Amino acid sequence: MFIRNITLAIALAVSVPVMASPLALAQEELSSAQITPAMQTALDEGGSLVIVDVLGAVCDFCALAMTRTFERRSEVAAATVDLDAKTLTFVLRQGAQMEDATISDLIRRSGYQENGIRRPETL
Amino acid sequence: MTLAVCSLPAEAEARPVSYEGGTTLITEHDRDMSAIWAHYTPHHRYSIGYRGEWHREDDHVFHGAQFTWLANRWFGEDYQANLYLSGAAGLAYGVDGNPAGTGAAGSLGVMADWETRRWFVSYMARGFAGETTGEKAMQAARVGVAPYVANYGALHTWLMVQVEHSPEAENPVGVTPLVRFFQGPLLAEFGWSVTDDKPFIQLQYRF
Repeated sequence: MFIRNITLAIALAVSVPVMASPLALAQEELSSAQITPAMQTALDEGGSLVIVDVLGAVCDFCALAMTRTFERRSEVAAATVDLDAKTLTFVLRQGAQMEDATISDLIRRSGYQENGIRRPETL
Repeated sequence: MTLAVCSLPAEAEARPVSYEGGTTLITEHDRDMSAIWAHYTPHHRYSIGYRGEWHREDDHVFHGAQFTWLANRWFGEDYQANLYLSGAAGLAYGVDGNPAGTGAAGSLGVMADWETRRWFVSYMARGFAGETTGEKAMQAARVGVAPYVANYGALHTWLMVQVEHSPEAENPVGVTPLVRFFQGPLLAEFGWSVTDDKPFIQLQYRF
């Protein structure tokens, strides 16, 4: 029991600051290939980060397709693809919204398949 | 109908269907012909465009519209596989002393590929019929390996070998080792047909 309480105390001590700063956690978990300077600028201006796991992204044409498809949207400030992480990451402009269904549809129109959507606020 | 032998492009195009709204320009020069192709993708399952071919060995040209349909795409975390069907229709006529007049012409093709970030395999077959320039069929297969795996925006390099089979050609079997460079919207391939002692060049730019 004593050991379990100690473990819980350590877990809370670690998790509470992290929960209070979910964006920081998200950014720490992202590689530099997932956050471009333009995306960082958009985040600094109050934008929100979206991370999408993608199936089938194996080349630069794949990445280009998704990046261009998302950056054509007025809600999106900047986007990029990390082929190593198999993710599309993009930043929504401050106050902009994009439903998960819309994101899946845009991935499909790019020629690929969404395999999970994460938003930093929910991490 | 004049049954002149017409060589066919041994193309193994990368992604002949793009993203919705995407446009791609392609030029290719291989052992038999030179071609230009511009296609637009209005829907993620098909592309339409103009295709022009100069069949140097047979002295005729083709101008037409090409439709390419992505029949199926299989996805995985580390791979992608595609099955494409294509059709082209237009006009062909003789050049450089070939007396063949202008006539209707067209082609049907199938292409399949499987690709990871390290390995690439493709197969294509195509049949061509021209009212004045003859009929021909060919098939080609390609294997490739990337000596290193690069991320988006970096220079990707592939080492590939393409084997073509054109039963009516002077050299029915052609072998072309080539190197592919791939970065962002630009894809460039440079090779040499060891069976025909001729260069192979392909350039693609995706808008």
